[in-house]
Amino acid sequence: MKRITTLAAASATVVLALSACSSGEAVDIGASSSSSAEAGDTTLVAAIAGEPDQLDPHVTSAYFSFEVLENVYDTLVEPDENLEMQPALAESWEISEDQLLWTFHLREGVTFHDGSELTADDVVYSYDRIIDEALTPSWRFAAITEVTAVDDLTVEIEVSAPTPNLLALIGGYKGMAIVEESNVESGEITTNPIGTGPFEVAEYTSGDHITLNANEDYWGGEPSVDSVEFRFISEGSTAITALQNGEIDWTDSVPVQQVSTLLEDDSIEMTVAPSTDYWYLTLNQDREPWDDVLVRQAIAYAIDRDAILEATTYGTGVLNQLAIPEQSGFFTEYDTYSYDPDKAQELFDEAGFTGATLDFLATSDYPETVTTAQILADQLEPYGIDVEIRTLDFATWLEEEGSGNFDMFMLSWLGNLDPDDYYYAQHHSEGSYNFQGYSNAEVDALLEAGRTETDTETRKEIYAEAATMIADDVSYLYLYNPAVIQAWSPELTGVTARADGAIRFRDAEIAG
Amino acid sequence: MGTVLTHPTTRFLVRRLLHSAVVLLGVAIVVFSLLQLVPGDPVRIALGTRYTEESYEALRAASGLDRPLIVQFLSYLGSALTGDLGVSFRSGQPVTQLLGERLPATMSLALVGILIGLVIAVVAGIWAALHEGRPSDAVVRVGSQFGVSIPDFWMGLLLITVFAATLGVLPSSGYVPIGEDPGEWLRHVILPASAVGLVAGAIMTRYVRSAVLDVVAMPFVRTARSKGLAPHIVTFRHIVRNALIPVLTIAGIQFATILGGVIVVEVVFAWPGLGSLVYNSVETRDYPLIQGAVLLIAVIFLVVNLLVDVLYAAIDPRIRLS
Repeated sequence: MKRITTLAAASATVVLALSACSSGEAVDIGASSSSSAEAGDTTLVAAIAGEPDQLDPHVTSAYFSFEVLENVYDTLVEPDENLEMQPALAESWEISEDQLLWTFHLREGVTFHDGSELTADDVVYSYDRIIDEALTPSWRFAAITEVTAVDDLTVEIEVSAPTPNLLALIGGYKGMAIVEESNVESGEITTNPIGTGPFEVAEYTSGDHITLNANEDYWGGEPSVDSVEFRFISEGSTAITALQNGEIDWTDSVPVQQVSTLLEDDSIEMTVAPSTDYWYLTLNQDREPWDDVLVRQAIAYAIDRDAILEATTYGTGVLNQLAIPEQSGFFTEYDTYSYDPDKAQELFDEAGFTGATLDFLATSDYPETVTTAQILADQLEPYGIDVEIRTLDFATWLEEEGSGNFDMFMLSWLGNLDPDDYYYAQHHSEGSYNFQGYSNAEVDALLEAGRTETDTETRKEIYAEAATMIADDVSYLYLYNPAVIQAWSPELTGVTARADGAIRFRDAEIAG
Repeated sequence: MGTVLTHPTTRFLVRRLLHSAVVLLGVAIVVFSLLQLVPGDPVRIALGTRYTEESYEALRAASGLDRPLIVQFLSYLGSALTGDLGVSFRSGQPVTQLLGERLPATMSLALVGILIGLVIAVVAGIWAALHEGRPSDAVVRVGSQFGVSIPDFWMGLLLITVFAATLGVLPSSGYVPIGEDPGEWLRHVILPASAVGLVAGAIMTRYVRSAVLDVVAMPFVRTARSKGLAPHIVTFRHIVRNALIPVLTIAGIQFATILGGVIVVEVVFAWPGLGSLVYNSVETRDYPLIQGAVLLIAVIFLVVNLLVDVLYAAIDPRIRLS
């Protein structure tokens, strides 16, 4: 579900960096969330930075939709706080000897918000719908040949080749939600989705808010708060004022410029946590002189990443040289590139490079791309590179990116879980997001092997090797992992900022 | 029947309605053509990333974007005439429904805003004109110059800082329908309406002032004064009443401007009106929604203009509806 935000947040740039989230207790499997037996309605008011385009989890690709849907739907498995896959609607599962058949055992007694029972048929229906109608997450089913209901509580998934990341594929985000057939048939799903999650949609006022009510029968235990009201406030300073004013309890619409001041404000709680998202630069390798690896490496040395990090994230992000951040099990040590003007000049000379004009594709919807472009223009000028900044709105930007009409651009990927998410689509010769035109047969072979390798240690080695080659070749020039930034009232507990940006309010509690 | 049709007011209205229909057709053509020129593929944006070729083609066909342009336009026009403005690309909901949901919020904002603007403009404008050349006139003129120069979104942020953040007396965002709770509606509408109202008021103050000055110089005012009428009667019955005519025009224009142009203010205050809807739909290239919203704003513009013309005649019998 990469770049979901990117698209979604077309209106609210900052948000991208601020994926956010809540609820610690990852997967609680029947764990008792304290029940709200007390009288009096507790409503958690959460301000998100934009409005969902619609609430059909299989169709939308907007991050704002998933902030809401995370609380409405369940998947068979789901990531805990450490992004390890845990049971959710499936209580347990086993894999056949040949790795080609996965059997999932559903939890008993799970009901949809309308009271109907969840069965294996619902799982089959949901997955078939995604595949047959070629809906947004259908790429996740590339390896899956068949989904069948064995009995009411057993689902079998057949794959064409060993798929070690199957759990991440089916549980990585709520786009893989189990939906109800009648809700889809009636068309209600776009505005009034019926799921099995901790909250159900109670009210939706276009442009203003969505209210969710606690699901008393939630299999993971009834949530503590009676309801959650999501308000759409794209202007960060308005959201922060509303929080300080007590109008809202939680927000991820936080301007990065205000982070250092807000951290000192005792009246609000704030988390700046590392995320699995990353920002990168990339050069068009179908064009001269960027097709020359020496030129790309020279640029990697000519760039002062610290300056970019400071100017774009106000110090809230973390520098990186590969896509996967330090906290992941697939992290690989790598520090080839650092700011080194002499080395850069050497490489430019070796390549016989004497200067060029660089068409930088920036977008006003993500101001960090414009800021970075300005810094680059300054840093690359001594080498005879004339950076021409083309600032477009995001919709136009996407068009230009897709048609390869650029020398360089900057963007981010997010919602990454498995290493395959980080590398395949971006750097495989046939990758659907390989807009930079990178092609390396060895990398292709490694990325293909990584997809089907079932031994975790071997997989790690494969991805470490592939990632290193990708960075050596400067297919992407990695910049930094942005932070997940969230602010909330001290009265609110049970929310945690998660690296994957999932916003879970099932364990939230409000004092008083 | 015949007499009704030949009545000047009826003839005027019929002609104006026909005229309006032509204008609307023009607006529809221009908006439709402009959208074709705007880069950015709505299907690609709607699908997000990692879609398949099949889903791309499926949505393109479902949205009717695979048909020839002229067919797309004519079928749009045909449906529009029956009140069907299509469905939003992104949400799949009827455009008329989405517009209908947003209209009350924008109307609230624009009506309260223009009211605030008018009160300011009429009071300050008349005051300044009657004290022409004196310090109080200078204060009003400088103040209105200041107000004209301030962008309304900045005025909004300023108001939020003072009344929401510092004083904590008013909410910084959100909207409550008037039917649900009039008190809360007022509390929520007052800041955003002030943001647009103060700026509109500053603009209109200058018109009121010069309109009053124009009337003061007219012979009939001298006549009235020489008849020995009390000063307040001359001021209100003769001067103000006549000065209101040009003011009405500018108020109508301001009102329509607010309706069509509160985009940034609505974004600042998280106000669920047409402005923020247009803002979002432009970003996502939601063509049906953009077209619908522009048509609606054009209709409102035409209606406001018509009302202003009708009001003219009510205020000044010398003006004929022709």
